[in-house]
Amino acid sequence: MRTGVRIALGLLVAAAAVTLVLVLPHWLSDARAAELARAGCFFIAILGLNLLTGYTGQISLGHGALMAIGAYTTAILTADHGLRDLWTIPLAGLVAMAAGFVLGLPALRLSGLYLALATFAFAVAMPALLKKFSGLTGGDQGINLFDQALTRSTGALGSVHVFGRSVATNDFLYYLTWGIGLVLAGAAWLLVRGRLGRAFRALRDSEVAAASSGVDASLYKTLAFAISGFYAGIAGSLFVLVSNWFVNPQSFYFDKSLLLVVGAVVGGLGSLAGMALGALFIQFAPTWAGNVSNAPGAPSVFFGAAIVLVMVLAPTGLGGLLRSLGEALTSRLYTRNP
Amino acid sequence: MFFAVDWAGVAQQVVAGLSSGGIYATLAVALVLIYRATGVINFAQGELAMLSTFLAWTLTQHGLSYWPAFALTLLVSFAGGIALERVVIQPVEGAPVLTVAIVTVGLFFLCSGAAFWIWSPEVKSMPNAFSTRPIRIAGVGFSIADLGVIGVSLLAVALLWLFFRFTKLGLAMRAAALNPDSSRLTGIRVGWTIALGWGLAAALGAVAGLMAAPSLGSFDQSFMQPILLYAFAGAVLGGIDSPLGAVVGSLLLGVFLNVIGTYVSWVGTDLRQPAALAVILAVLLVRPAGLFGRAAVRRV
Amino acid sequence: MNAGKGRVFFAVLCALAVVSAASAGGSTTPGVTSNQILIGGTTPLSGLASAYASVAKGADAYFKYVNAHGGVFGRSIKYKYVDDGYDPSQTIQQTRDLVQNDKIFADFNTLGTATNLAIRSYLNELKVPQLFVASGASTWGKDYKKYPWTIGYQPSYAAEGAIYGRYIVKTRPKARIGVLYQNDDYGKELLGGLERGLGKKTKLIVSKQGYDATDQNVKSQIARLKSKKVNTLMVFATPTFAIQSYSYARQLGWRPFVFVNAVSSAANILSVASIASSKQQTEGSISIVYLKDPTDPRWERDRGVILFRSILKKYNGGKGLTDVYNVYGMSAAFTLVDALKHSGKNPTRASVMRAVTHLNERNNPFVLPGISVRTTPSDHFPVAQAKLERYHNGRWVYFGSLVGVG
Repeated sequence: MRTGVRIALGLLVAAAAVTLVLVLPHWLSDARAAELARAGCFFIAILGLNLLTGYTGQISLGHGALMAIGAYTTAILTADHGLRDLWTIPLAGLVAMAAGFVLGLPALRLSGLYLALATFAFAVAMPALLKKFSGLTGGDQGINLFDQALTRSTGALGSVHVFGRSVATNDFLYYLTWGIGLVLAGAAWLLVRGRLGRAFRALRDSEVAAASSGVDASLYKTLAFAISGFYAGIAGSLFVLVSNWFVNPQSFYFDKSLLLVVGAVVGGLGSLAGMALGALFIQFAPTWAGNVSNAPGAPSVFFGAAIVLVMVLAPTGLGGLLRSLGEALTSRLYTRNP
Repeated sequence: MFFAVDWAGVAQQVVAGLSSGGIYATLAVALVLIYRATGVINFAQGELAMLSTFLAWTLTQHGLSYWPAFALTLLVSFAGGIALERVVIQPVEGAPVLTVAIVTVGLFFLCSGAAFWIWSPEVKSMPNAFSTRPIRIAGVGFSIADLGVIGVSLLAVALLWLFFRFTKLGLAMRAAALNPDSSRLTGIRVGWTIALGWGLAAALGAVAGLMAAPSLGSFDQSFMQPILLYAFAGAVLGGIDSPLGAVVGSLLLGVFLNVIGTYVSWVGTDLRQPAALAVILAVLLVRPAGLFGRAAVRRV
Repeated sequence: MNAGKGRVFFAVLCALAVVSAASAGGSTTPGVTSNQILIGGTTPLSGLASAYASVAKGADAYFKYVNAHGGVFGRSIKYKYVDDGYDPSQTIQQTRDLVQNDKIFADFNTLGTATNLAIRSYLNELKVPQLFVASGASTWGKDYKKYPWTIGYQPSYAAEGAIYGRYIVKTRPKARIGVLYQNDDYGKELLGGLERGLGKKTKLIVSKQGYDATDQNVKSQIARLKSKKVNTLMVFATPTFAIQSYSYARQLGWRPFVFVNAVSSAANILSVASIASSKQQTEGSISIVYLKDPTDPRWERDRGVILFRSILKKYNGGKGLTDVYNVYGMSAAFTLVDALKHSGKNPTRASVMRAVTHLNERNNPFVLPGISVRTTPSDHFPVAQAKLERYHNGRWVYFGSLVGVG
C-alpha cells in the first residue's frame, strides 16, 4: 500500500477508535461499561507487552506481576499516604517501570526460554511476596480502599463529577481506561515509528547486526522492559479502581501473566489494533465460555478451544487477520484492469 | 560442628529429593523432546499427563490392576500425543513460535477444564506399584517406593536415549529436529517424526503422572501443575535442548527443594518455590545456556 | 359529605393504600416476580478451585427439587451461579452484572473469602443481601454491625480451632503440639482459633509449619515437625496436603496423635489417607463434623441422605453422590428456602434479612441430628454446633455431646 494511503487509513482508524470510545457508553449498560473498563486495563498492559515481545522479541511471562506492582502501589499510596487514587496512577507506572527495568536486567544475559523462565519466576514469586510482606500489603486480606480510603476513591460511591456533570462511576472508569489507553497507544505508535522503534526492531531481527550498527543492545533491551513495565503499572493501577477499589494477591497469580501473553498473541503482536482485540478477547471469551455451560471445568474447555481455534485460523493473531483483510480490500483499489 | 550434622537425615532428604526429581526429570525430558521437535515449550504437557493418570485410574476402577492399566495408558497416551500433533499443531507449523506456544496454552486450559468436567473433584488414590514400607539401608530410612520411582524414571529416560542413539527411527528424528529441510531431501518424513516426538513425550508424561500420583498419596485434577513448573525449571537449568541436562537439572532441583525446605528455615516454606527459582536464575546468569546447553552460535 | 359516605371513602382509600403497598412490595423488589425469585452468586468453575463448585451444584439441585414441589408461596427459585475463576476482580464484575443486569434478589452461596470480601462493601452499599457466604472466615458473623446485609453459614475456622484447643487442654494437657497450616486466612484462622482455645497453654505449641497452596508437597514440613518431637499434630490443611501429612509421617516412622480439620475429614478422604499411609496411621484421628457425610455407612438409611441421593439422581444426573460439598450446598439451600418462607408472602430484601437473622431451624435434613440452624440479631452464625468425632477402624465415631462452634 502506498504510504499516503496507509497514513490516511491509519488516521481514519484512529478517529473511528476515538469516536467509538466516546460514544459507546450510550448503548451500554452499567455493568458492561465496567467490563469494558477492565478490558481497557488489559489493553494497556498488552500494549506494553507488545512493545517488548512484538518489537524487541523478548518474552515476558511476568507482566501480571508488574501489574500487581502498579496495583499495590496505588492501593498503598491511597490507603496509607493520603493520596487521591487518580494521582497515584502515574506513580504506579513509574514504580512498575523501575521493576520492569530490574526484571530486564537478566535479559542482558539471557534470551529466549531462559529469559522466559526468569520472568516466570518473578510471576510465580509475586503472590508469595505479597502475602509475606503483609504489613505493607494487607497480606491475604488485601487492601480495600472502599473501607480504608473512601473519600480518596474517585467514584466509589456511584458517580463522579466531571466538568460540572455527573457521570456514573463505571462510565467514568470506562472513559478513564480507554482514554489513557488511546493516549498510550498513540505514544506507542510514535515510539515505534521513531528511532527507538527502529532500534527495537533491529534488535529483534538480529542482535549482532544491530550491535555492529551501533545500537546499544543492553540499553535498548532494558529500556524496552522498563517502558513495558510502565504500561503494566498503569494498567495495574487502573485495575484496582475497576475492581471496586479492592486489591488482593489472589488476583495476581501466574495465570494473569499467562492471560496477558495470550491476549497479546491472539491479538496479534506488532498490531496496535490487534492489542485492543486481544484485550477484548481475554476479557469476554471466558464469560462467553461460561455461558455455554456452567458445569465445573466447562468454561475452561471452551476458552481453551477458542484460543486454539483463533490461533489455527489466524496464526498472526486477530490484528494480523485485520491487516490482511485490509490489504485484501484496499489492494483492489490499485489493481488496474488490463 | 561437622559431626553434629544429622547425616542420616540429610541422606534421607537427598533420596526423597531424588525421587521427586526423578518425576520432574521424566516430564522435563518430555518437554525437551517437544522443544527439539517443534521449538516450543508445551504448556499442556502436565495436564496431558494428568489426563493420562485419570485414564489409568478409571481403568483400575473397572477392574484392571496397576501394571496392565499402566501399559494400556502408555499406549493410549502415545497414540493421543501423535493425534494431537497431527490435528492441532501441524496446522500451525509454519506460524511464529509464539503462536504455537499459545496453542499449547489453549490446550492447557482445555485439558484442565475437561478433567474437572469429566471426573468428580474429590481426591482419588492411585495404587502404588511399589511398597511404601520404610526400609533401612546403612541406618537411613527410605521407602522402596522412592527408590522405585527413581528407577522407573531413569529407566524411561535411558530407553529413550537408546532409541535415539541406536535405532534408525531415532536417528531420523534427530536429523529432522536438527535440519528439517536436509532431512526431507534424504527421504525422512519430517512431519511424522515430529508427531512421533509428541507421542513419545505424551508417553513420558504418562509415566511421570503415574509415578507422581502414588508418591503424593492422592491426586486430583491439579496435581501435575507444580510438577510442570519444576520440570520446566529443571529443563531450563539443564539446558533446554539437552535431555541429559533436563535429567540432571531436575534431579538437582528435586534435591535442592527438599534440602532448602528442610534446613533453611528463614526462607520459610511459603517462599520455597521462589527461592528455588531464584537459585536457578543465579545459575543461569553464570551459564546462560544452562548446565549442558549449547550456547547458540549466532550467525551474523 | 355525610359520615356514611366518608367512612366508605376512607375504607376505599385504605384498601387502595394496602393494595398499592402490596403491589409495590411485589413489583419493586428486584428479582421477585409473581412466579419466580432470582438469586445469584459466583463460584469457581474454572481453575484449580473448581473442585469446590459442587457447593453451587448441590444448592441448585435442591432448589429444583423445591420448585418441583410448589416452590415458595407459588414462586420457583432460580439460582444463577457464574464463574469467577476464584479471582476477586472477576467476582466483582460478575456480581455487578448479576445485580445490575440480572437484577437478582440476593447474592447467595458465593464461594471464597477474598472473593466475598471484594463484593461485601458493594453489596452492602446497595443493600443487596449477601446470604450464606460459603467461607469459614469469622468476619461474616463478627462484623455484622458494619455490614448488616452480609451473613455467613458454616462454623468459622477460628471457632473450630478453638474447639480443638479446649479439647486438648482438657484431655491432653501435656501435649507437644505441632501445627501444619495452609499459609492463608483459612489456615491462619484455624491456628488463631487453636491458640485462643488453648488459652494460657499456648506454649504447648512447639512448632508451626506453614505451606503454600501452590506447593507440591509438605514432606519437609512434616520432617521438621517430627524433629521437634511433636506428639500431637494439628492438620489445618486441604485434603491433598492432609493426606500427604499422614503418608509422609508414616514414611518417617512417626505416629503422632492427629487432629484433622473439617474441610479434610470426609470419610472418603480419610480412606484415601489410610491407603496412602496405613490403617494405624489414621486410627484415632479427631475432627469435628456438622454435616451428614454421604460416604459414611451410618447414614445409609437416613432420610436426609436418601433425599440427598434422590435429588442428585433426579436433578444432577446422579453425579456427586460422594461429594460432601453437595451436602453443604443443599443444606444452605434448605436454610434459604426456610428463610424465604419466613419472609412474608411477598419477600423484600429487608424482610429476608430479617428472616435470616431470626432463624430457628430444627429440621434441616442435611446437618447432624440435634443441630439447629439458629441466628438472632446479635448472633450471626447460623450453623454453630458440631460434634467431635474419632476415626476408629476405618469409620468416624461421634463422641460427646454437641459442641458450640461460634
